[in-house]
Amino acid sequence: MRNVGIIGVGYTPVFVSKRKDVNIAELISEAVDAGFRETNLKPEDIDAFTFGNMQTFEGLNMPHLWASDHIRALDKPIIRISTGGTTGMSTLQAAYYYVASGMYDVVMAVTWEKHSEGDAQVGLSGIIIPEVIAMVQSGMDLAGGRGVGAMGGGSTGTAAYQAMSYLHHSGADPEHIDKMAAMERSNAAKNPYAHLRKETTVEDIQATPFIAWPLRYGHTCPTTDGATVCIVASEEKAAKLADQVAWITGLGACASDPCTGNLIEGQITDPAEQEPCCIASAKALEMAGIEDPKKEIDMCEMYDGFAHQSLMWLEKTGLCEVGEAHKLLDAGELEIEGRIPTNASGGVFSTNAIGTSAMNRPAECALQIMDRVEGGHKIPKKIKNALAHGWGGMFQYVTVMILSDTPRKLYPDGR
Amino acid sequence: MSESVVTNVVVPMNFPYNYRVGQYIETYIRGLGEGKILGIKCPSCGKVMVPPRKICGVCDRVMEEWVEVGPEGTVENYTVGHVRLNLGEVERLDTPVLLALIKLDGADSLLAGEVRGIEPEKLGDGLRVRAVFKDPAGDSLSDLEYFEPEK
Amino acid sequence: MERKIAIVGQAQVNSGDVGMPRERLLFELVKGLFDQLGINRHDIDNYLICSNDFTTGRTISNVFEDSPIGAYLKDETKAEVDGVLATTYAMIRIMSGLYDTSLVVSNCLGASECRPYLVMDYQLNPTYDRQLGILNELSTAALQARCYMDTFGMTEGQLDETAARLLDNAARNPDSLPSNSAVTPGDVAASEYLYEPLRQLHCYPFTDGACALVLASEEKAKELTDTPVWIKGVGDSVETNYLGERDLARSRSTKLAGERAYGMAGITDPAGQIDVAEVTAKFASQEPIITEALGLFPEGSGGDVADKGLANTDGDMPVCPSGGALGAYAFAASGLVRLAECFKQLTGTAGDTQVEGARTALAHGQDGFCAQHNAVMVLSREEV
Repeated sequence: MRNVGIIGVGYTPVFVSKRKDVNIAELISEAVDAGFRETNLKPEDIDAFTFGNMQTFEGLNMPHLWASDHIRALDKPIIRISTGGTTGMSTLQAAYYYVASGMYDVVMAVTWEKHSEGDAQVGLSGIIIPEVIAMVQSGMDLAGGRGVGAMGGGSTGTAAYQAMSYLHHSGADPEHIDKMAAMERSNAAKNPYAHLRKETTVEDIQATPFIAWPLRYGHTCPTTDGATVCIVASEEKAAKLADQVAWITGLGACASDPCTGNLIEGQITDPAEQEPCCIASAKALEMAGIEDPKKEIDMCEMYDGFAHQSLMWLEKTGLCEVGEAHKLLDAGELEIEGRIPTNASGGVFSTNAIGTSAMNRPAECALQIMDRVEGGHKIPKKIKNALAHGWGGMFQYVTVMILSDTPRKLYPDGR
Repeated sequence: MSESVVTNVVVPMNFPYNYRVGQYIETYIRGLGEGKILGIKCPSCGKVMVPPRKICGVCDRVMEEWVEVGPEGTVENYTVGHVRLNLGEVERLDTPVLLALIKLDGADSLLAGEVRGIEPEKLGDGLRVRAVFKDPAGDSLSDLEYFEPEK
Repeated sequence: MERKIAIVGQAQVNSGDVGMPRERLLFELVKGLFDQLGINRHDIDNYLICSNDFTTGRTISNVFEDSPIGAYLKDETKAEVDGVLATTYAMIRIMSGLYDTSLVVSNCLGASECRPYLVMDYQLNPTYDRQLGILNELSTAALQARCYMDTFGMTEGQLDETAARLLDNAARNPDSLPSNSAVTPGDVAASEYLYEPLRQLHCYPFTDGACALVLASEEKAKELTDTPVWIKGVGDSVETNYLGERDLARSRSTKLAGERAYGMAGITDPAGQIDVAEVTAKFASQEPIITEALGLFPEGSGGDVADKGLANTDGDMPVCPSGGALGAYAFAASGLVRLAECFKQLTGTAGDTQVEGARTALAHGQDGFCAQHNAVMVLSREEV
């Protein structure tokens, strides 16, 4: 196999609630243009495209077909990847495989979401509509189905169970969720590509109402319009095309059962168990040759739709011990100047155009490694290895990527 | 006592979407309101395309030059529809609907439209047609209501 | 190619009403395939689901499909594209060296659960074509058919012959829809017009379908089967979505996809080197357009091919001995079925639809209106 690196990232000029001035295809084209501008590449330099967004949220089936002109993919190979919240990283992983396999040299991974044109919570609830209606029609008592109750508040309903379980197992207090929320929102204030950009205090967060205990409104992510592209290249091509490269040195993906169970038997999996995260992370770290992630990973970008999640993911990815994440938070280690800056960008928690959410994680790591961060969320120390994390499905999919400043050392057998 | 088993449930999915058409289709719709069909010209290949869009994917160029085309044009391809699709269901029609791909005068692409006022057997390639606009206009794509044979 | 990769097994279902939930359908299909190969879910190191949420009617439709197919705590991803392209991605994942075995699986209950024409409506540009309601799955196909027939002088009678050949083939294929029966061109001509020139029997039937393939690296393939079918070349290409800017009588993207696959596979004379082709022609009128773009027949020869029976199973260039998409078409799964049918042909297990001595086969899949995005795979029993 071949080494693969990210040679450029392109964002839409802004990530906001409603882009009323452009349609979906035009929105995507802005990120594609930015990707070309950042890398000084032209469409003819791109061998193939991978493309992803959340299924059905905008009521568009296979939108890459409509957007083929706008993303400059005419006459090119293109594949649509769609895995729920993890879509962004799954799309980038597809681009990785396209290049690592030797099939193509330069691939553009395109992700987007224009939440303002649909309804994310309606879309998410659509996952279980057939089950719920089947239950009602067969006379089942919905109050007995804990999974259905969990879905009552859209995704926040289920996340509340997860937050409860996390607090229970880690020994963290609800105030730690407030603190994490305030830290990430304040990070986002420094990032010109973040959506909710406001310096925020713990008191600000605590002034917001509860949605489902222990989660407050101030613990939840926004819905955002935006698009992101990453351009990846083989080692040989990267040497010719780019001055700075963020190397993809490890990757993993893992699926589990839906954490709400099958809704007939009720909740069968603890939504905070997140075994796929442990598996995917261990695989990615091993591939990257990282023996002690607690020491060797210099920053991380976690997929946190809710403020408790970054803390939970730190423990599940192996970047700290179980029960340690909130202590690192208290010690200031998760801040931009800390030992393991966590979501310096503000995270999904501050910017959530879902299709891009799991792509912006490795994209932000890449920008930090390549020293191309625009804005005050630049991490002052040198980044050698970064961990990016994606999460999706019904609490059951996890993707992980390790990005590094030097190319990966292949296994002895050439893999 | 027989056991009752639910084998099938019908779940009509009807989610509301609110699509922004973007500035290109907006300009196009405003043009229709004034009885004009506006195409967009690629600065590189020079082709005039209707409906308009931002980017010529072949030339990798942003298109900005508006060109009025039609309202007359020539049928280049057509079909006589004996059915229509209503939310994906096939419904037979008593009177066939005539659909055509029309090259508007001054345009390089073909525009899909309905043709009225002609017998189905007389619809054919090369037929000259003219756009009929809705009066009063309603700020919508259907302000270009249909095409009829040129008199 | 750095690594040789083979398809080692296939399983498929095509039905007018499969009569069970998709989860059970997938479980039985995949478990059956594992049993046939003598493996279990731990022998598969990456899972690829290829299905479409609009056919399922739910977001992230794979959430309930992972466990039935054995992907619990495994590397799983989903491609919302046609099966041939999804299989290309599975192949690429093995090519990277990080995996040895892939399962690709797809399902679509297009007969009993969703309305395929409505699923296609959701592909229309929502800011223009979907608002106007002029273009849809059938009207676009009719315009494409008319364009080809007018450009190259193919008659409606010849289109009926093409459809009758495919439906006849399908009736001989136990894996196609059970309701298929042998028909004559007269029967096709007697079916009702939808959008002229297309009649009911020129169009794909609504199908509950599912298909699974197992792909493996060279060493694994040889462990798993004595008859691996090697992937020799792949290619795909997309063209513009704006129908009024496309030449509908020809398929630019199929041609490019074919050229890419041929280049990889070392095919210089497609008609001479390919023994059997399974193409995804959702409408009888698409078959000449696609096969000509692939260089299997000269441009504009659709009428001639129909009259002379050149695409017959015993003809010069057999096309869709399985009956193709006219026999059964389940969104996305159909591409996997094309590959599965090629697998049957090359392993000599195609029964009454067998093309004698087939050694090299071509599978084609498509997405979009008038086949906007096309993927091609060349397969062979020859290892080198």
